[in-house]
Amino acid sequence: MIASRSPIVRLAIQAASPLAIMIGAFALFAGHNQPGGGFAAGLLFGAVVVLRTVAGLQRPEHAVGYLAWGGVIVCVCALAPLLWGEPLLNQVVIEGTVPVLGKVKSGSALPFDIGVTLIVVGLILSLLDGLGATDLSQDARRTSRVRRAEIDVRTGESSGASEDKA
Amino acid sequence: MIWALLAAHVVVAAAIPAFAARVGGRASLWLAGAPMAATAIWAWTQLGTTTTTSVGVEWVTGLDLEFAFRVDAMGALLAVLVSGIGALVCVYASGYFSASAAGVGRFAATLLAFSTAMLGLVWAETVWTLFVFWELTSVTSFLLVGFKNTDPVARTAARRALVITASGGLVLLAGFVLFVDAAGSARLTELSALSGGQATAAGVLVIVAAATKSAQVPFHVWLPGAMAAPTPVSAYLHSATMVKAGVILIALLAPALRDTDAWKPLGLTFGIITIVWGAIGALRHVDAKLILAWGTVSQLGLLVTLLAVGTGKATFAAMSILVAHAVFKAALFMVVGDIDVRTGTRDINQLHGLARSMPVAFVVAVLAGASMAGVPPMLGFPAKEAAVEAVLGLSGFDQFIVGVGVLGGSVLTVAYTARLLLGVFSPARRGDEPTAVAPRRWAMSGPEIVLGAASLLGFVFLTWVTDVVVRPVSVLVQQSSEVYSLIRWPGLKDAFVISCIIIGLGAVIGWVLHRRRVVDGPLPRGAYGVDWGIDSIVVLARRVAAIVQHGSLPAYLATTVLVLLAAISPFYAEVDIGVLYRWDNATQAALVVLVVAASIAATIIRTRLAAAMVLGAVGFGVAGLFFGQGAPDLVLTQLLVETVVVVGFVVGLGALRRRFPAVSRPWLVWRIIASVCVGIVVAVALAASASDRTGTPPIDELTEGAVNEGGGNNVVNVILTDIRALDTLGEVVVLIVVALGILTLAKVRRDEEASGLDAHPIDESDDDERLTEDVSS
Repeated sequence: MIASRSPIVRLAIQAASPLAIMIGAFALFAGHNQPGGGFAAGLLFGAVVVLRTVAGLQRPEHAVGYLAWGGVIVCVCALAPLLWGEPLLNQVVIEGTVPVLGKVKSGSALPFDIGVTLIVVGLILSLLDGLGATDLSQDARRTSRVRRAEIDVRTGESSGASEDKA
Repeated sequence: MIWALLAAHVVVAAAIPAFAARVGGRASLWLAGAPMAATAIWAWTQLGTTTTTSVGVEWVTGLDLEFAFRVDAMGALLAVLVSGIGALVCVYASGYFSASAAGVGRFAATLLAFSTAMLGLVWAETVWTLFVFWELTSVTSFLLVGFKNTDPVARTAARRALVITASGGLVLLAGFVLFVDAAGSARLTELSALSGGQATAAGVLVIVAAATKSAQVPFHVWLPGAMAAPTPVSAYLHSATMVKAGVILIALLAPALRDTDAWKPLGLTFGIITIVWGAIGALRHVDAKLILAWGTVSQLGLLVTLLAVGTGKATFAAMSILVAHAVFKAALFMVVGDIDVRTGTRDINQLHGLARSMPVAFVVAVLAGASMAGVPPMLGFPAKEAAVEAVLGLSGFDQFIVGVGVLGGSVLTVAYTARLLLGVFSPARRGDEPTAVAPRRWAMSGPEIVLGAASLLGFVFLTWVTDVVVRPVSVLVQQSSEVYSLIRWPGLKDAFVISCIIIGLGAVIGWVLHRRRVVDGPLPRGAYGVDWGIDSIVVLARRVAAIVQHGSLPAYLATTVLVLLAAISPFYAEVDIGVLYRWDNATQAALVVLVVAASIAATIIRTRLAAAMVLGAVGFGVAGLFFGQGAPDLVLTQLLVETVVVVGFVVGLGALRRRFPAVSRPWLVWRIIASVCVGIVVAVALAASASDRTGTPPIDELTEGAVNEGGGNNVVNVILTDIRALDTLGEVVVLIVVALGILTLAKVRRDEEASGLDAHPIDESDDDERLTEDVSS
C-alpha cells in the first residue's frame, strides 16, 4: 500500500496510535457528560486499527472476539437488571471518591458503552477483512521490494493501487 | 409417573446419539425400547381405569395455555398400543438392521422421539398440547420415512408425507381455534355437546385434519409412498400409531362435535370411499408391503366410518377394530419385513413356498391374516361381528351406505388377505423355483410371535378384552354406558351368517386374483400431483427470487429510490413554504457551497481515489454544518465516520481499477435522475416534518430525564445508553450481524482462492459487474 511504502507515514502512524487510543479512552469514559461515548470511542479505536493496517503494522484479526465480547457485555448489561426485578436495561448510577481523580460519577451505562465500543471495533475489523486487508502486511513488504521493481521496469508507472493485487 | 415416563423418553432419545457410536446400533435400539417398555407396563396396570390422572404445567400465563396430560382408560389403552408395539418394534429392528448398518443409532433416537410425540398426543389433556404433539409426529415421521436419506425415492416420499400431514396440521390449528372459542375450554376432559355454525366449521376442519393424518381418500396418497421407509417404521407408524392419530382425534372430539351438522356426512363420505378404494388398491399390487399399506388405508376408512356413525354399537366396534388392527397389522408388517430381509424380495409373484422354509413367519402370518380377514378364532372376528351388528342396528339410507362400505370392504379385505397369504406361502407352481431363504433371526421372529399370539389370545380372553380394554374406552367416547359386548360365538344369528358369506365370497375373489397374477399397480396418481405441486412451488420461488434478487447494484439502488419517492408522496402537500428560511448565519452558506461543489465533483471525477477524497470532503462539510448547530457529539461521530470511511476506501480501492469504468449516456441520465430524486425526497421529508409541528419538542423532557435519572450531562449519550438503550441494543445487534456477514463473505472468498477455485475472476473491463458478483455471493 501507499502508506507502507513511506517510512515517514508509517512512523507517524506508529507514534500517533497511543495518542489516539488515549483520546478514544477519554471519549469512552467522559462520554456520559461530554461529547464522546461508545460509538465515538469505537470509531476512534477503529480509525487507529485502519491506519495501522494500511501502514502494514498489524493485521485485522480477532474480529469475532471483539464482536462476541461486545455482544456478551451488552446483553449482560441489558439483562442484569431483570435479576433484581428492575426493567430491562435499567441504569444504576454510582458515585464515589477516587484518589487522584477526585469525585467520580459513573453507572451501568459505562459497561454498556464499552460493549458498544468493542462491537464497533469488531465491525471495522471485519470490514477491513472483507476488503481483503488481511494480506496487506505481507503484500506491503513484497510490494515494496519486489513488485515495485517489477512495476518500474514494466510500465514506469509509480503508484497505482490497482497493481497491488496479484 | 406421567412426567417421569415422558422425561425418560426425552432423556434417552437425546442421549442415544451421543452413545450410539460407542455401544453400536443394536444396543441403541434396545436402549430406545426400554422407556417404551416401562410405559407399556405402567399403562397396562391402568387399563380399564375409571379415574382420570391429570398433570399439567402452565405454559403461557394469561393465554390459558397449559402443557397438560391426562391418563384415563383411553390414554392407558392407547399408551399400551403405542409403547408396547414400539418396544417390540425396537427389538424387531435390532434384527432387521444388519450389525454393520449405518445410522442405526440415529434411527433408534428418531424412533423414540416419534414414540414420545405419539405418547404426548394420546395423553394430551388440552387441545393445544395435542396439537403440539400432533405436529411433532408429522416431523419425526418425516425423518423416519426419509431414513434412507440418500435414496431419492425415500426423500420424495418423506417430503410428500410431511407436506400433506403438516397441511392437515394447519387445518387442525384453525379447527382448534374455532373449537376452543365455541366450547370455552381447551380441555378434552370437559367436553360438552356443541352445535351451531362455528362448531360445525370446527368439526369440518377437525375431520379434514384427521383425514390427512389417517390417510383418507384423497389424502391417502402419501401412505403407499411412505413404504419406502424401513419396515420397522411401517410396522410402527403405518399400522399401530401415527395413522391412528386421526382416528384418535375424531374419537376424542366426538362427544363435543358429533351433533354438528357436517360431522357425520363428511366422516361417512371420507370413510366409505376410503374403505372401498383402499381395498381395491390392495388388490392391485404385488409388493406385499404395499398390499398391507393399502389394506391399512381401507381399515382406517372403516374406523372413520364407524366413528362417524356415532351409535353406541358403532363406537364399540370402532374401538375393537382399532385394537385388533394395531396388533395384526404390526405383526403382518413384521412378517413381510422378515421375508424381505431373508429372501431379498417382497414381490408376491416371486415368492413361493415359504410355508415350509419360514414356518414361524407362516404361522404368525396366518394368525394375523385370519384376524385381519375376521375369521375365528381370532380377535378380528368378534371385532368385525361388532361392526356388522352396528350396521344391522342402523336403518334407512344410513344402513344402506354404511352397509355397502363395511360389508363390501370386508369382502375385499378377505380377498386381499387370501391373495397375500396364498401368494407368499403356497407351494411353488410348476416352473417356479422355490425361493431361497436366509437363516432365521430371532430378534425379528420374537416380536412376530408375540403379536401373532396376541391376536389369538385376544379371542381366548375375550371377556377381559371386552370389559377392561374396549368397553371403558367406548364409554368415554360415547359418553354413555349403552354399548355393546364382544361375543366369542354368536350362534346362527344374522351377523354370523353375513360374516360367513363375507369370508366365502372374499376367499373366492382372492383365489381368482391369486391365479391371475396381476402386475404391480402404480402409485396413486395424486402422489404425483402432490410432488408436482411441491416442485412447482420451488420453481416459482426460484423464478421470483431470480427476478427480485437480480444482483444488479444500480437496479437495487434505483428500486430503493423509487420506493422512497413513492413513500414520501403523501407529504408533498404538507410542505409549508413559509417555515423555510435562508440560513442562520452566512457560514452555513459557505459550507453548503462546499458540500454541493464536492458532491457534484464526486460525480464528475473519473479517478476512484479522488472521488473517495471528495466524498470525504462532503462528509466534513456536513460535520461543519452540525458544528454550526451546536451538536458536538454529531460532529465528532461524523468526523470519525468520514475518516474511517476514507481510509477504508484507500484499502478497498487496492482491489479495484484506478479509474471508474466509462458510463454510457442513457445510464448517466438515469443516474442523474435518480440522484436528483433522492435529493428531492430528503428535502421534502425534512421540510414536511418542519412544517407540521404539533406537539411540544421533547428537548426539555429529555434533558431533565438525562440529568436526573440517567446521571449524565451529555444528553445524546444518555439517550443512547439509557433512555433509548433498547434501540441501541437493537442497533449493535445489527452491527454484529453485518460484521459476521462480512467475515463470512471474506472467508468464502479466501477458501475459494485457497482451493484454486477463483469464483470471482478479476475482470478489469467491468468493475460494476464484479461488485455485483461480490454482493450476490
